[in-house]
Amino acid sequence: MTKLLLALRMLKRDYRSGELTILLLALIIAVTSSSTISLFADRLQRTMTDQASEFLAADLVITSPALIPAEWLQQAEQLGLLHSQSVEFSSVLIENDQLLLAGIKAVSNQYPLRGHLKTIQTDYTTEQTYHHGPAANTVWVEKRILSALGFKLGDTLHVGEKALLISELLTYEPDKRGDLYSLSPRVMMNDQDLAATQIIQPGSHIHYFFHFAGETKALTQFKASIKAHLNPSQRIMDIHEDRPEVGSAITRAERYLGLSSILVILIAGVAIAMSTRRYTERHFDTTAILRCLGCTEREIIVLFSYQILLIGLFACVIGCLIGWFAQTLLLSLLQNLLPAKIAAPSLLALLLGFLTGMIILISFTLPPLLSLKKVPALRVLRRELQPPPASAWFVYGLSASMICLLIWRYTNDISLTGTIIGSGFVCLLILNQLVKMLFTLLKTQLPHYSLYWRLSLQNLIQERHTSIAQILAFSITLTAMILTFTVKTDMVDAWKQQLPENAPNNFALNISEDQLSATQLDLAALTGTSSAFYPVVSGRLVRINDQPVHQRVSKESRGNEAIERDLSLTWAENLPANNLLMAGAWWNSDTQNAVSVEQKLAENLGIKLGDILTFTVGSEQFTAQVSSFRKVDWETMQPNFYMILTPSTLASFPHTYMTSFYLAADKKNHFNQFLKKYSNVMILEVDLILAQFKMILAQITEAMNYLFYLAFAAGFTVLFAAIYSTLDQRIYKGALMRTLGANRRLLNTIHLFEYALLGLLSGLLAIVLSEVVLFCLYRYALHLEYRVNFLIWLIVPLCATGMISLTGFFALRRVTEQAPLQVLQQL
Amino acid sequence: MQLDSSNIKLIETHQLGKTVPTSNGPLHILTGIHLSINAGESLAIIGASGSGKSTLLGLLAGLDTPSHGEILIQQHPFSTLDEDGRAKLRNQLMGFVFQSFQLLPSLTALENVMLPLELSGNPDAKRLASNLLDRVKLGNRLSHTPKQLSGGEQQRVALARAFVTQPKILFADEPTGNLDSKTGAHIIELLFELNQEHLTTLILVTHDSILANRCQRRITLDSGILV
Repeated sequence: MTKLLLALRMLKRDYRSGELTILLLALIIAVTSSSTISLFADRLQRTMTDQASEFLAADLVITSPALIPAEWLQQAEQLGLLHSQSVEFSSVLIENDQLLLAGIKAVSNQYPLRGHLKTIQTDYTTEQTYHHGPAANTVWVEKRILSALGFKLGDTLHVGEKALLISELLTYEPDKRGDLYSLSPRVMMNDQDLAATQIIQPGSHIHYFFHFAGETKALTQFKASIKAHLNPSQRIMDIHEDRPEVGSAITRAERYLGLSSILVILIAGVAIAMSTRRYTERHFDTTAILRCLGCTEREIIVLFSYQILLIGLFACVIGCLIGWFAQTLLLSLLQNLLPAKIAAPSLLALLLGFLTGMIILISFTLPPLLSLKKVPALRVLRRELQPPPASAWFVYGLSASMICLLIWRYTNDISLTGTIIGSGFVCLLILNQLVKMLFTLLKTQLPHYSLYWRLSLQNLIQERHTSIAQILAFSITLTAMILTFTVKTDMVDAWKQQLPENAPNNFALNISEDQLSATQLDLAALTGTSSAFYPVVSGRLVRINDQPVHQRVSKESRGNEAIERDLSLTWAENLPANNLLMAGAWWNSDTQNAVSVEQKLAENLGIKLGDILTFTVGSEQFTAQVSSFRKVDWETMQPNFYMILTPSTLASFPHTYMTSFYLAADKKNHFNQFLKKYSNVMILEVDLILAQFKMILAQITEAMNYLFYLAFAAGFTVLFAAIYSTLDQRIYKGALMRTLGANRRLLNTIHLFEYALLGLLSGLLAIVLSEVVLFCLYRYALHLEYRVNFLIWLIVPLCATGMISLTGFFALRRVTEQAPLQVLQQL
Repeated sequence: MQLDSSNIKLIETHQLGKTVPTSNGPLHILTGIHLSINAGESLAIIGASGSGKSTLLGLLAGLDTPSHGEILIQQHPFSTLDEDGRAKLRNQLMGFVFQSFQLLPSLTALENVMLPLELSGNPDAKRLASNLLDRVKLGNRLSHTPKQLSGGEQQRVALARAFVTQPKILFADEPTGNLDSKTGAHIIELLFELNQEHLTTLILVTHDSILANRCQRRITLDSGILV
């Protein structure tokens, strides 16, 4: 207790004298950044997951062609999960002598568990939001139903044998799916009326959706226990397994949030390492006197540890408070983009920010702190005596393992952690050696340089270890800034490319051979562009070489989907756009009976080049040899195929065509004529899905922008702090040189040269470091296309040189502006 | 270790030597020093620059360890104690005054003097430190930091810090080395006054013959050998 009070008094005195300012600032920046990101990312992630759950209208959905066992529902209830259900099927509505195939959806009173439904009364009324579906005896329909059947609101619509009152026009349904049951115009009814329709008979083709929502832990437990009991016709879906296009966007965004956290931790680590170094060096004398006055090694460590812990506690509390306000501010800036209900801030996330600060502080201050106990008491007589430096393995090992731990905690992603730490560490080692070699080379050349250059270089070379540490610190900070910028830009670009403004929003299926040219002409006239039409043959893969295909595949793998149902097979002369040949070769016009397989499916089914695949189409069977593997971008709204065959193999089988096209909103009315003309053609509208997807991407992008600004601001602050924390020796040398007669111009120039060189080297190293990390990151973690950005090669070294040299120059101006004695006395 | 004041021999050295390795082979800084210092005695160690005066002072104060021989304090081995053991004895028995004052720049005059008392957990640190600063005529400069004090004032703070724990032995390394002759004379006066008031054993290293002559005994070092 006495020691704690003494430490507190010493700390107060240090604070008053300004000794703690830089360390405190660095730590506050670190904790502010980490707690802001931790809180912000946590709230955003939970909000995004909630929002994404809207796509399912729940957190978890079980689809089944029949009712699921009652025990499953009991289990869900026991776990405290909410539950609702919907039933979807197609039915032909016959009204006013008009026939219309509609997608019927009967929902329970609790539907939707996540998200909401929107309706209007007329085109001129505002949308109403509901957290429940239609009441019994009423029905909500899409507007297209009214125009197609000549109905108006308030009329009675018959679904099977049940008459239902049309009470609302449905404009938004959270879990509108892109499958056959959703492509037809929607009729939504209450499931209490379902039996009265008498549509559902044994053998009816219907889909049940059992929705669940609740605590993540309970959901995980429920999912794990149910998964084992699913039969092959049942599926369990959550946002990551369903909707792969949304899931992958969220996964990437989550990874970006994780990445930003890592980079801010790195930046903060650099700041703390730099300022602790200064802090401990400035305490060598104090320690020597304390030793001389009788302090034991243990007492020295206890005194300084208490001080560091007190600094940590103070900075962490302040940082967390600022972080709390900063994340509130960030979210309020994003208010217009985010859903009305944002997940509440979590104390756990705040605690994580706090712990991050303490862990960074301890891992970066422990090695220099321990070196204090080695300060020899004899230093009071011989000031040049320094404590032996802490073992490099200890210093780097401790910092690296603490950073690994934090990164892993933030990302929950071993591969991302490994990629960053591994590639970064190897690079740092190499770059460290390169800088040493460069300094050795410069040293041999020193006598040949002009006085200005010689003095500037001497400063850098003579304090080689300090210079290298500073260059590496600048490089790591700059690298972190480059990474946050580049990854964000490339991700947003990738999304924009994936979903351009006029991305297809409709799929047309079931176009017959004799309708092909007419539909092509009509669609081109309607949309103003011509779209690619793909022939489709419905077939099933039955054997790979001589082995039945079901023996090749596990129940969980994606391959299972491909063999459980008919595949849409197509043929093509040329490799379709958006497909990338990964292995083998594309065929020429003479090739017969060859098939190109989607890469992932081939992997799951263990298909090799040259394998013979046997397909059945109806009662016929044919074989084709695997000639290539393709990578397919499933996230584009284009028709994609697992299997593409040579034209001669498939063309003789009965086939239809499919296409996708963009239809502007103002052309929807003309489109009804197209639908009437080609009544057999099925149209799959994906507008709503696209709109939702785009909104989520916009939100994620905006959030990423703010994270990037935050990381950048932290980076700049740290650069300045790093420069200021190593000024003492330069100021001392400068003052001495002035005493010896150096004029202001000489001093200003050598300071400018010295810092410019530091900046240039740091900028160049940062580029190399960031390119290597980016390459590994894109290749192994984010799965983005890596390309060298030459503009950054130009901008970063230039900016780093300018920024660091100017900051250094201004920071050292007092050497030339104050009397040398005054400067020396202030040190 | 408790000091028994009835024992006259306070510090003894036997065959004390210090050797450091250099690129040209071992360098003998001190060789075969035999010395005996009585309690309450004042001893000046004199000699040319590089003769080993400060090294001897450092060894006697336990700030460094000898390469050969031993140091006994009241017939108990001192130089063979580990660093923490020596630190404990320094805290109990010794005070220091240095040529470069060695005040902590971030602390005020009062805080600098309070520090050794605070380290030993003395609850009355502020009052004792304040009294002693009054004694060295710095009662009106308590809240000034070293940068705001002149060299002489800083050395007076250092003297106050050295005597505040009432040490049995005071080590002084060139206490007037950084001061002009007038200020130096004041400091010498003060040092001996305090020494007599506190009945301290004084061991000082100096070039200053006036200062050396004020001591009861003088020993001279030449190239590390006592002459």
